[in-house]
Amino acid sequence: MHHQPILTHQPRLKVLNRQQVLAIHTAALEILEKTGVKMEHEGARQMLVDAGARLFDGDWVRVPAYLAEQALQTAPRRIMLYDQNGAKAMDLRDDHFYFGTGSDTTFTLDLESGARRQCVLGDTGRFARLVDGLANIDFAMSMSNPQDIPKVEFIYVYTFAEMLKNTNKPIVFIADRKADMALVHELACLVTGGEENLRQRPFLLNYSEAISPLRFPSHVVDRLIFCAEKQIPICLPSGTNAGGGAPITLAGAMALGIAENLVGLIIHQLTRPGAPFLFGPNVSALDMKSTVVSYGCPEWSLTQAALADMRDELYGLPIWSFGGASDSKTVDAQAGAEAMFSITTAMLSRCNLIHDVGYLEYGNTSSLEMVTIANELIAMARHFTNGIPVNDDTLALDALDRVKAAGTKGIFLTDDHTFDHFESSLFLPHLIDRSRFDTWQAEGGKDLYRRSNDRARQILAEHQLHPEMDETLAKEIDQRLQALS
Amino acid sequence: MTYKALSEAVIKGDVNQAKAETQKAADGGADPQHVLDDCLIAAMDVVGEKFAQGAMFVPQMLRSAKTMQACVAVLKPHFRGGGMTTKGKVILGTVKGDLHDIGKNLVAMMLEGAGFQIVDLGVDVAPEAFVKAVHEENGQVVGMSALLSTTMPAMAETVKALENAGKRKELKIMIGGAPVTAEYADRIGADSYAPDAGTAVTEAKKLLNAQ
Repeated sequence: MHHQPILTHQPRLKVLNRQQVLAIHTAALEILEKTGVKMEHEGARQMLVDAGARLFDGDWVRVPAYLAEQALQTAPRRIMLYDQNGAKAMDLRDDHFYFGTGSDTTFTLDLESGARRQCVLGDTGRFARLVDGLANIDFAMSMSNPQDIPKVEFIYVYTFAEMLKNTNKPIVFIADRKADMALVHELACLVTGGEENLRQRPFLLNYSEAISPLRFPSHVVDRLIFCAEKQIPICLPSGTNAGGGAPITLAGAMALGIAENLVGLIIHQLTRPGAPFLFGPNVSALDMKSTVVSYGCPEWSLTQAALADMRDELYGLPIWSFGGASDSKTVDAQAGAEAMFSITTAMLSRCNLIHDVGYLEYGNTSSLEMVTIANELIAMARHFTNGIPVNDDTLALDALDRVKAAGTKGIFLTDDHTFDHFESSLFLPHLIDRSRFDTWQAEGGKDLYRRSNDRARQILAEHQLHPEMDETLAKEIDQRLQALS
Repeated sequence: MTYKALSEAVIKGDVNQAKAETQKAADGGADPQHVLDDCLIAAMDVVGEKFAQGAMFVPQMLRSAKTMQACVAVLKPHFRGGGMTTKGKVILGTVKGDLHDIGKNLVAMMLEGAGFQIVDLGVDVAPEAFVKAVHEENGQVVGMSALLSTTMPAMAETVKALENAGKRKELKIMIGGAPVTAEYADRIGADSYAPDAGTAVTEAKKLLNAQ
């Protein structure tokens, strides 16, 4: 008799029911229609008005809900990011998840001294190269706000070029205004050999921010429109942090963040229907003692799990989220606990593009060690998320018979079934230490921080890009940088 | 007199109770400067200490500051002659090109709660606008904030503009914001760097040698 194979349930996290989803969405639409947003970009304001929005109090607009529903219809439900060699790398949709680093940290932990020091451009390169060498880190961001940029107004062009030289993986980039974004776009076109190639196989995604509550500065909307026109994938969360730019209650903060995101999406889709837009506000919380935006709090994990539920129930668009970060100042137990918490919950709720891996100090310090540790934590969480395949082979009744037949000497460790299956059945750690005490001590008694430091150094010393950047291209990029004025 | 009920109302953030107590004190002929210094500001000092010990959270501290300001409004008509004496006047703004003002607004509230007078220039404040405000308002401290590394250079430009206007020597300059550091403050010739709103208050007091 032939049986259908048993499907493997892959554990999922769900934090909102449909009623909650609809209530938050309705509140977001009410914000668009009744409260309105401050649209400081003249062209976008006119675009909204032409589409049916109403102008009031100068540059405020009230936006009818149907524009949001229309934009949600025309935006693609899948964004494919390629690597710089033109191979498919990140298929952003449904339940697919990808992890990567974060952007502008002021400080980094020095790999040699361990000291917290200000970032330099070389750090952006080191992080990108590390990302390239880590199997579970899928994309690169700058991980630094370098202090040694000759012309600070082009800081994002320099960091983008530095990433290009040090990784072939997809890049999520920042820009300040339309001019530097256009320069980033030019560099990207050099890599792909032309604008049309880049359009066909985009390897970059822009991260821009409106300002909560309800404010859309002109230079931000410039970037949004530029990306729509060039079909550069973009996400536009506003700093909708509970207690700061948004209500302290997470439902209200989400409604506001979603409303703001929908306005961005509407402008984006009016500019160019079908252009790729990664959905999602960043809804973290302000710490009530220090007023920092927390990167280790359970609230942010909760709101993005909720957003994933809203994607599944309503929006259908791939979403932006965070994981693997911490508020701790050092690579310590707090850092590990917070990073693992957000990695696991982001994965279990199937967030799509998960950034900020390797942040310490609420995003103010980056750490190569943290990225290296997170790479392993992601593998661990992935193993859990893969679930338990159930079939004749994994139920292993034959193996049981063999071990039973071997009598008192029988042990599964010597059975062929173990040999055949241990690599797929178990998570085999590299950095996580399970050695016996004496072995651990003999190898220097190193804690996870030291071991991850060793590993990061090793990768930076040995890892080669496949391929390394072509010399002519590198020269061309350097010439462009030198020509900046 | 100590006005225990008023102090407690400020510490608790009970606006109505605090206003009523202030009114009572004023109606009873109390010296408004005495009520301000020895009761309201003293209560805010207690709040500041409690916060520093972790016994109070930011929203509670801000509620106390709001309560204190409501009491000051009640007191104001009772000041005669020279008017109210404050710890000093602080001119605040986010620098040119920077539109993020949550941090700056917190600093303003905290400084006000601590007894400083605030002139808030808002966001995206050009160096010339800082200079103009210094001329017109006669402030003793200029506080600038920037969230973006790309807008940080505007801090240096503002310091320069104040120097060129001949105002630098009579002023104290304090800066803050996510990418800002103490070293940066040194480099551009600012007097002080505050990583958060609480520190802004202690730094402002230090700069003006106020209690």
